[in-house]
Amino acid sequence: MNISFVKSKIGLVLAFIFLFTSCKKKEEEDIETHNPTPYSLEIPHGFPTNVNIPDDNPLTVEGIKLGRYLFYDDRMSGKADQGMGMSCSSCHQQAYAFDNPAGQGTGTTSLKTKNTVLPHINLVWNPGTYGWNGSVASIEEDVLLVIPDPTEFASTWPDVIAAISAEAMYPPMFEAAFGSKEITPERIAKAIAQFMRTMVSQDSKFDRVLRGDDNFTESERRGLVLFTTEEGADCFHCHGAPGNPLMTTHLFYNNAKDTIFDTSSDRYSVTNNPRDIGAYKATTLRNIELTGPYMHDGRFQTLDEVINFYSEGLLYSEYAHQLMHKVFPPYGNGAMLNPQEKADLKAFLLTLTDTVFINNPELSDPFQK
Amino acid sequence: MITMKIKISLFVLAALMLVSCKKKDETDTSPKTGKISISFEHFISNQPAIVNDYIYTNAAGNVYSFFLVRYFISDVELYKSDGSVVKIDKWTDHFYVDTDIPHTLEWNVFDEISIGNFDSLSFRFGFSDTKNQSFMFVNQPESNMVWPEELGGGYHYLQLEGKWIDPNGIKIGYAFHLGRGQHYDGSGNPVPPFIDNSFRVSLPNSAFSVETDKTTKLTLRMNIENWFEEPHLYDHNQWGGDIMQQQPAMLLAKENGWNVFSFNLNNN
Ligand code: HEC
Ligand code: HEC
Repeated sequence: MNISFVKSKIGLVLAFIFLFTSCKKKEEEDIETHNPTPYSLEIPHGFPTNVNIPDDNPLTVEGIKLGRYLFYDDRMSGKADQGMGMSCSSCHQQAYAFDNPAGQGTGTTSLKTKNTVLPHINLVWNPGTYGWNGSVASIEEDVLLVIPDPTEFASTWPDVIAAISAEAMYPPMFEAAFGSKEITPERIAKAIAQFMRTMVSQDSKFDRVLRGDDNFTESERRGLVLFTTEEGADCFHCHGAPGNPLMTTHLFYNNAKDTIFDTSSDRYSVTNNPRDIGAYKATTLRNIELTGPYMHDGRFQTLDEVINFYSEGLLYSEYAHQLMHKVFPPYGNGAMLNPQEKADLKAFLLTLTDTVFINNPELSDPFQK
Repeated sequence: MITMKIKISLFVLAALMLVSCKKKDETDTSPKTGKISISFEHFISNQPAIVNDYIYTNAAGNVYSFFLVRYFISDVELYKSDGSVVKIDKWTDHFYVDTDIPHTLEWNVFDEISIGNFDSLSFRFGFSDTKNQSFMFVNQPESNMVWPEELGGGYHYLQLEGKWIDPNGIKIGYAFHLGRGQHYDGSGNPVPPFIDNSFRVSLPNSAFSVETDKTTKLTLRMNIENWFEEPHLYDHNQWGGDIMQQQPAMLLAKENGWNVFSFNLNNN
């Protein structure tokens, strides 16, 4: 447990008590007329207690409900009347942990996104570096970016607001969530962000084993050992471990796929630090079975291809991250796993699939009842 | 982040309390204490460490670059001139330092320190075995320091990373990582008991004084080249880039760690 956090909670409580008992009661402030129902996010066993929820957008039952409708509503592109209806869920599909088996996304005008779609898994713990290169600071900001993006909605806010306002159910929902019927880009972004912060994946076999409710098979266990040892397959420094169960550090690395690099959308394009050339976020490996094709450019179709890559396909360059030990001497092109080891590593990765998450009715399309 | 916020709200509450209540009678029973803060700086060859460039040569002759360093210190003890010992353990007994995260480079110690002159301080680099408990950190970045269960569990005490140029001119990543060490059985599997590689750092020349209503600012400087120097010459070409499963290499690091830190007092 994070002791200082607990202590600070106690301190806060004490401070409150002190405040209330030591002073004469002041006149109560006017009770606000708008009182949405606070939603309390459960922190799963072993997960971080620090969550990234902006002060000006607390989770509320009404906000989450509104966000869920907007996330799945084709009118969000503002072009449904032109036969170009599209929603977040067009690219981010629950059955694939809110990723998309097509790889890149295709927007309303048939243009494709530069990189492959990212899943929505436990984003409430992302420290504020969304996207493959971490350039997006919040989920709210991401929503604002999707609307005009030529490879996504390719739309305008006035069109989106008009389309959403025209639907009778929405104004009362905005009122319930935000206190008035007014529909603004900020409110749309806030509601969707609230809904997305409830997309918590914590019920894979891996989680059940950590909670003591299940056991790994021998092969899965050997896979975990390979995953977490430098002399094994050496994945944990970037992709987590039982003690870091988000299965990502949220940091950016060049994982030795190439010798020359397109720097237009990598971490370097954000930081200008030469160490970040060819670096992308080490995405979470939760639900990795469902989120192919793999890597930012979707170059690998299957997990087997990814495992073969880390086993014998690494390419040396001076930008390869220092933790990609297997690309440097005395190794060479990878961890050189034998067929049994590859099978074990894969078996472990498959324990990260969370079928409860992809079937969670609270995250599903509310228009399909 | 949240802890920060809570601290701030605590502060606001305290301020609110002071202005919103009628002042009570003050009796001068205030304890004689002051505050300290500890800054962390990272030097190579007496200069602030520069990131990325291959401009350093260690004692073994390896030309190398420095990218980052992350570590924990714990169990800080302050030795008073009157012979008593003050332990820093009220709010937290450890601190995480990360050159990529600026706010980790200064520790505003929560503890009220009794005033007076201090001769020196010491701390543990990493965590003692009893404190190095797996799963004790759930939040990042600390949880990113996890040390695999298979290799002994707990947390990395140290991640010092960069690259060096090998005899063939290849730039090889070094992940100079320190944590629990392992014994291996005949078939190469780690077998308990695991080895505590943490160590105490004593800074004999670290006199300072603590005064009421003042924060004494101390600085701990890590002299990075010393990890590779004394008493053991540490050659990257011999040990390679990854040493978590090489106890002989980690032992050198542990034994070289004694003079890696130096102390400074900021007079302001
Ligand atoms: C046309 C397909 C498409 C649509 C529609 C779309 N997205 Fe995305 N989304 C992507 C792609 C591609 C990425 C990865 C972008 C990158 O970093 O290169 C992404 C990334 C994200 C991320 C970052 C995830 C992470 O792990 O960092 C968020 C948040 C997100 N989308 C939210 C939304 C929301 C909310 C909507 C609806 C308003 C939406 N997306 C609509 C394709 C789409
Ligand atoms: C040095 C850090 C690092 C190490 C070590 C590492 N990875 Fe990765 N991994 C990454 C990064 C960065 C990406 C994303 C790269 C990109 O998109 O171009 C990635 C991508 C992946 C993906 C695809 C993710 C997706 O959503 O498309 C899988 C699967 C994966 N890694 C598995 C592994 C396995 C298994 C190991 C150990 C054999 C491993 N990684 C070791 C950094 C690392």
